[in-house]
Amino acid sequence: MARKIDPFQGCGSEEHKGYFSRQHWTRRHFFSMMGAGVTASILTKKAQAADTIGQAAATPVNKAKNVIFILLAGAPSHTDLFDFKFIKGTTPDATKPDTLKGVLWPTGILPKLGNSFGDLAIIRSLRSHALVHSLAQTWTQIGRNPASALGSITPNIGSIVAIEKDQLRTSNNVFPTFLALNSPSAAGSGYFETRYAPFQTSPTNTGLNNTTHTGGQPLFNERWSLMHQLDDPLRIDAPYGKPLSDMNDSYAGANGLMYNPLVTKAFSYTQADSLRYGNNSFGNSCLIARQTLAANDGTRFIQITLGGWDMHQNIYGINGDPTKGSNIFTMGKVLDDGVSTLISDLKADGTFNDTLIVIVGEFGRTVGKITAAFGRDHFPQQFAVFAGGGVKGGRTIGSTDDLGAGTVDPGWSGGTFPGRDVAPEDIEATILSAVGIDWTKVRYDDPFHRGFEYTPQGGDTPAFPVHELWNA
Amino acid sequence: MSLKRLRFGAALVCAAATTQAQEATPVTVADQLQQPAAISAEVLVPHAECLFFTKEGERFRPLISNPRDSRYKAQFGLSRMTEDVAQRLSEGNPSTSTNAPGVPTIATSKNFIDQYIYKGLQDAGVQPADRTTEYEFIRRVSIDLTGRPPVAERVRSYMADTSSDKRSKYIEELLASPLFIDRWTMYWGDRFKNAQSLPSSGVQRFAEGRDAFYNWIKSNLIANKPYDQVARELIATQGTNSWENAQGPINWVVGGRSSGPAQDTYDQQTVGVATTFLGLSHTNCLLCHNGQGHLTALTYWGSHTTRYQAWQLAAFMAKTTTVLTRPDPMNNPNKYYWAVTDNPKANDYALNTTTGNRPSRLPAAPTEKTVAPVYFFNGNKPASGETYRVGLAREVTADPLFATAAVNYLWKEFFGRGIVDPVDQIDPARLDPDNLPSDCSDPTPCGVQPSNPYLLKALSQDFANNGYDLKAVIRKIVNSEAYQLSSRWNGNWDPSLEPLFARKLVRRLWAEEISDTIAATSNLPITYTAPGTANKVSWAMQLPEPITNGFLGYFLPGNRDDQPRRGEGSVQQALALMNDATVIARIKATGNGSTASTLMLLVAQSPNDTALVNNLYLTVLTRPPTDAELAISLKQLQSGTGATKTDKASSLMWALYNKVDFIYNY
Repeated sequence: MARKIDPFQGCGSEEHKGYFSRQHWTRRHFFSMMGAGVTASILTKKAQAADTIGQAAATPVNKAKNVIFILLAGAPSHTDLFDFKFIKGTTPDATKPDTLKGVLWPTGILPKLGNSFGDLAIIRSLRSHALVHSLAQTWTQIGRNPASALGSITPNIGSIVAIEKDQLRTSNNVFPTFLALNSPSAAGSGYFETRYAPFQTSPTNTGLNNTTHTGGQPLFNERWSLMHQLDDPLRIDAPYGKPLSDMNDSYAGANGLMYNPLVTKAFSYTQADSLRYGNNSFGNSCLIARQTLAANDGTRFIQITLGGWDMHQNIYGINGDPTKGSNIFTMGKVLDDGVSTLISDLKADGTFNDTLIVIVGEFGRTVGKITAAFGRDHFPQQFAVFAGGGVKGGRTIGSTDDLGAGTVDPGWSGGTFPGRDVAPEDIEATILSAVGIDWTKVRYDDPFHRGFEYTPQGGDTPAFPVHELWNA
Repeated sequence: MSLKRLRFGAALVCAAATTQAQEATPVTVADQLQQPAAISAEVLVPHAECLFFTKEGERFRPLISNPRDSRYKAQFGLSRMTEDVAQRLSEGNPSTSTNAPGVPTIATSKNFIDQYIYKGLQDAGVQPADRTTEYEFIRRVSIDLTGRPPVAERVRSYMADTSSDKRSKYIEELLASPLFIDRWTMYWGDRFKNAQSLPSSGVQRFAEGRDAFYNWIKSNLIANKPYDQVARELIATQGTNSWENAQGPINWVVGGRSSGPAQDTYDQQTVGVATTFLGLSHTNCLLCHNGQGHLTALTYWGSHTTRYQAWQLAAFMAKTTTVLTRPDPMNNPNKYYWAVTDNPKANDYALNTTTGNRPSRLPAAPTEKTVAPVYFFNGNKPASGETYRVGLAREVTADPLFATAAVNYLWKEFFGRGIVDPVDQIDPARLDPDNLPSDCSDPTPCGVQPSNPYLLKALSQDFANNGYDLKAVIRKIVNSEAYQLSSRWNGNWDPSLEPLFARKLVRRLWAEEISDTIAATSNLPITYTAPGTANKVSWAMQLPEPITNGFLGYFLPGNRDDQPRRGEGSVQQALALMNDATVIARIKATGNGSTASTLMLLVAQSPNDTALVNNLYLTVLTRPPTDAELAISLKQLQSGTGATKTDKASSLMWALYNKVDFIYNY
């Protein structure tokens, strides 16, 4: 029986056990503390060290103005894509392995991105904490354990960018700061106000949903005017309370999006352009991301979801035929077409250097031989690809063993904990640093009144950016 | 080793800002707060290890913690909430009772709610808002109780009724309506987080499990099942959810399942019990670390409670297993249901984890490898032979806090904020104004926490005395003069008056209320498909869980997991109300006979333009137009765009659907 693949949920109904590999406080640590020599100074020193580092290191690189965050939902196979391993007898020849700048590359799956390799920096020492799709997808988007106490209030990374970049908006800006394309399951704004939430829409060639009025603009204008005549006594002075005038502000924002040539230009597209991006909803989302940034009208963070990577079966195609079924080749092509065109178009627009592109899944897939179902199951090792935003491309950061099962060289500082893998929390810290946000910032407006840190800074492994991306 | 020095060290790590290391803390809320004897959980759980809880104590309180300091407010960029808390902390409870001139007395009200609310207003010298007009009242109470406004015919008959008790008679009519059941089934579905899947934990109940839970909630409302019984069933039911013979309430315990070691699940289930039934969401923090330092600025109770005590509460769940069964593993390996059982022979809550969602659980001494259940407010344990969860349910429902939390949550539904607010952050040490902690000092909050403590007490006691009758609480609330105050406020509103309930706060209609109201008032029903099924319902309020995309999704119904229902407005809501097909298709004249749309009927039946305007207003907005509105509307019906009267009236109807007094319950 073929397993039904839900592009957004993956096989989220699967239960997995034993995936939490992260040590909180080992017995060794514990007993060393409980031992005879224990004094308060151990603890004191630990606290001081964290303080010092927290203050000294929180200088963001501040190289990018915009972020395009591409979530590969369903967990893409790292060893068939950006941490490519050729396993004899398993990896099909159709993957066409080639060596680019010393890096083995599946030119049969990602030919165009191979050509763009000079722009890509690939982190291979990334490991997820969890192997449940929905949980790990949320984790990737919020940089925190969704099941922790703070998980329920933690905003999407894009919402943090939106609240921090709010001040850059001008009164003329009508585009949402945080745009989510093709991402109906995007993590929300947590405890932040709704205006920092992802503005969700799916691309259509006719433009942004609900920005035109049945009956046409003149009729709309008449109705708009009628509404204001009737309602201004309630929505301007708001005798019933401030939420009503806030809603009036939302109406003004909505009106700004309607019949607006900038919006039409950014959110609709020609068939020719769509074809260049692969002629699918992911490609169209990349296209709209490009156009939205070109409009430069307030959008700073764009999330795009590409689901369909949960390949427990027939990862190389039904009966090993790459043309049959959804598989690593067909999905790879969607990704390859969309992102390669996006990069070249951003370059043509002059926005590439200002825009950080991040491509990441929620975890990776089992390595080596494929399973009895000709697929790969869930696995913590994964990758993150960065491009633009001043990132020095054409290289990998960190390396894995021959199979891709574990990190051999983390390839980065590890923050205060050298030698550790990169975690989803660090990806968030990297993104925040890239756009000039102090990833250790604490705000005190959270509903628990306990202080909310943008990225977790407690414990042995405080989140830290992979600043190596910007250092050749 | 010196316990004292260790404690000092831990305090440095955890709460550098706390100047005094707490020696064995004197317990002043006498018997309520039992400190564990010799176990120093502070040593066991240094906060620095708490990976997902960010940094240490100094980050848990503002740099300037004195609310009277002029720089205090400037530290908070966004939220009004923090200021409110600061205000609560600094004000305490007004105890003098000088009658302010001009403030009405409520000697005529038999409703004790009014005696407490008006006492608070008098003490503060605040003149409340006017009483609602009949139109304001009938719309408000209809939407709050049944999720939609009354039909125009009922508005007319209500207005024609001259009896003095017509408000309470109308309330009884609403409470007996099937719409009341639907509206409050949705509410309790939110409260009990009933969804087929919970993305934050990966728990799947599937449509079958969710529907069983939904049906159980709904049948409870139909029977008006006492709330203590509801709680007992949720906390303690054993059984399977095998779909043919599904046990609805077990889905609540299933929803507490967590990844990581079994103790993570016990903890999460305990957080559910404590938050839902006791208003103690801080239990979530306490299951990772002691309150000292972390919760010092927030809650007296929490800051004096240890992780060990929280473990003792979680230990009530430790003999419960939730087991997954796949009825058809060959053909349908991804489909399964749950069985929840208690095994008296299972081990107690073990202190043996080093991985998972929460910091390590390790014993204080080699002999102390497990924690036995103890209810943290009274030290009670399960009775001999009693199933642990049954014991927990017994303790929780007997706790005065159970009633307090219940009425406080309900109060918020009607007033927009709790008497303790946020409603899930009750500080049990500061509820009783006559028995407050005497040993606390800044930054630990000392003042009474509820904005009207005697009201909260009276409501709680009334609830308990009435056999935990939920409908009776609602009846009491909506019959009060306090609930029936207008939200219209003359002059500048001072948000600090919110806790006094000096006016009614507006509420944006829920997604389901907006959609159902548009369908009902246009007489053009909408068909919805329940998520995960092919089942159709004709009212959004009858959905077993919210639809989170499309027109409904714009109004933020939440997913009952990591995305709560929200009441804010947004640009997309405005776009949807102005342009979405849901609205545009309902300002049309279509159908005939019983399927005729409202526009069709009203244009045909109204003898003249004035009547048409009146009818449209009454149908859509539950009120007649003001003189100015009538004049503008008449002009529209005469000179608006469109070949026919229907076209011109369609634009008027559109404008009414986009008025803020349509979008909000005011």
